[in-house]
Amino acid sequence: MHRFCSVCVVLFSLVWPCLVQPQTPTSQPLGLTSLHEGNCSCALRLHHTEPTSQEGLVMTSRELNPQFYEASRAGRVVQHHLNTLYGSPFRVYVVTQVHTARTEDTGDDGMKYVLEFSVKDWASEGPECKASAEVLYPRGDVHQPPKVQSSPDGLLQANTSDKEQAFYQRYSAAAGPVSAKDIPDSYGHIDPEMEHFWHLAWVASSFIMLNESSENTLYSLAQVAKVTQLNIQDGQLRFELQVLLHDMVSQNINRWKLQVSWSPADGVQVLEMELLPRCHCKSQTRP
Amino acid sequence: MRLCLAVLVLFVAVHCRKLDFWTHPVSTELPIDIHVPYSSLHVTKDFLQDNKIPFSVMINNLQDLLDEEQEDLQINNIKECNAKSFDFGAYHTLEAIYSWMDTLVSDYPNLVSKMLIGTSYENRPMYVLKFSTGGTKRPAIWVDAGIHSREWVSSASTVWMANKMATDYGVDSSVTSLLDQMDVYLMIVNNPDGYVYTHTNDRMWRKTRSKNPGSVCRGVDPNRNWDAGFSGPGASNNPCSESYHGPHAHSEIEVKNVVDLVRSHGNFKAFISIHAYSQLLMYPYGYVCTSIPHQAELDSVGRSAVQALSSLYGTSYKVGSICKIIYQASGGSIDWSYDIGIKYSFAFELRDTGRYGFLLPASQIIPTASETWLGLKYIMEYVRDHPY
Repeated sequence: MHRFCSVCVVLFSLVWPCLVQPQTPTSQPLGLTSLHEGNCSCALRLHHTEPTSQEGLVMTSRELNPQFYEASRAGRVVQHHLNTLYGSPFRVYVVTQVHTARTEDTGDDGMKYVLEFSVKDWASEGPECKASAEVLYPRGDVHQPPKVQSSPDGLLQANTSDKEQAFYQRYSAAAGPVSAKDIPDSYGHIDPEMEHFWHLAWVASSFIMLNESSENTLYSLAQVAKVTQLNIQDGQLRFELQVLLHDMVSQNINRWKLQVSWSPADGVQVLEMELLPRCHCKSQTRP
Repeated sequence: MRLCLAVLVLFVAVHCRKLDFWTHPVSTELPIDIHVPYSSLHVTKDFLQDNKIPFSVMINNLQDLLDEEQEDLQINNIKECNAKSFDFGAYHTLEAIYSWMDTLVSDYPNLVSKMLIGTSYENRPMYVLKFSTGGTKRPAIWVDAGIHSREWVSSASTVWMANKMATDYGVDSSVTSLLDQMDVYLMIVNNPDGYVYTHTNDRMWRKTRSKNPGSVCRGVDPNRNWDAGFSGPGASNNPCSESYHGPHAHSEIEVKNVVDLVRSHGNFKAFISIHAYSQLLMYPYGYVCTSIPHQAELDSVGRSAVQALSSLYGTSYKVGSICKIIYQASGGSIDWSYDIGIKYSFAFELRDTGRYGFLLPASQIIPTASETWLGLKYIMEYVRDHPY
């Protein structure tokens, strides 16, 4: 049992720890158009490119049922992507519904999904808005994260800047570092003081969930196991988090440790992330 | 004169020594009852004796009497609490759920009985609540919850729905006609070992707690262990996996107990498994993505059931086969039930869609149960009205 423990620790430590650079926009910045629908002013129309052929290869396009799992999983990837770019302790996005979906097999580049969906910020109870996006799942033996086409300009955002500033000021000047565990607790309860750390964990986890996503995953944040505030550095609030991420497809729950920074100006950045081994060994008492 | 004087002195004594008159002096014919605090006891006694005012002690120690009364009150309260004020809006331990089952049965003895259908791996009793107004092996509906132990809201909702069904019988014409014709079997905790483990050790535990020979990892996914495409795609052969199918179909005693009951009964017309989370109402198959012969009918029933469910709070559900809506998964319960001829086989995935996930706030239990009841009721009524 001890040896199995050592093996699993070694294996995981070889494969998983990595430094994550802050997300940068993909190479093709696309224009955004403002989409005003009723009293919902969303600037989230993400252009999709027309199917192109590469060296005479005919693109195969397949219409998907938007209720079925392929569309749901791609929608979830878009959700993670939006949160990495625009999420904050006061802003967490959820893709509520996929309206239309189709795939385009781009050959060597991978499988592209083109979606129209509705999205909403549930942290600030924002309106539900329609948008569209593209998700490209790369092909290859080694897993690579999916790429989502989007642009950071002029995006839909509830005005949370006052709250964010207040939150930032409060925890910059706090007497002692924040520390908590099990958010929500077993009964789904969240201490009101901890709610925005829960949101922060959702956003930070989105970096991991995006990285880990494939056509065969559907990730959510199951629980924040631990949050510990670290010293401010370069004007950024910093935290160490341990989160439990649930993948609906495999039903596995994995524990990740991450170091996160945030400020209203610079948004959420993940500085380090590490998959913690899930050791099934019984603990042994030591003399 | 002397009496008047005595009374006057006593009144003075009241102010000075805080005597508490339970009956006041109104006439020389009638006695006076006085509550004397301990600190004034001797002085008061001396005063009465000195003034030759006859007295007798009615209650020696008032506090003792009050304490006893309080104790009785509490005992009675608890007795009443058990029957009527079980908190349906809270998550409970296995013991509390099992205890509540007994009170439901004692409250509705002509409708509800508790059946022991076997024990779990760790020897816990497995109970089914049978709702029946008589007959012998009437056509029946099976509903189970809590097969995956971390899905707490599924058992919590089914507790509420059991209570709802019991209270609605004789009151709601549809429920009454349903139970006058059919029996309903409700299994509230299908995986008691797992459920206890989520309370004591690991809130995120999913599987049974059986030991896997040659592995440090315990447990089998009980919803990959049924004899329907067993060990096919969508289940793992790794004991450490959350979707480990087990060494063979029905290897898990928790699954076998239900299989044996349903087979020996032989007259189930519907089989419904309740899970969480994702907000889905699904029908077979999970083990293959091809359509079942009754696809159109089950899809239509599912859509109408979801319409009923959504009517309460606008909660949106998707409807479809397991394989298409969520994932290919072999060895599932409703695939097994469909394949042995139980046409109306459905699986619910209750709230929410991932925001809280398995940790759904207790405040959402009753809303979830209430809306799910409308969907479940639609299905049961449909089954009642479409005998086969």
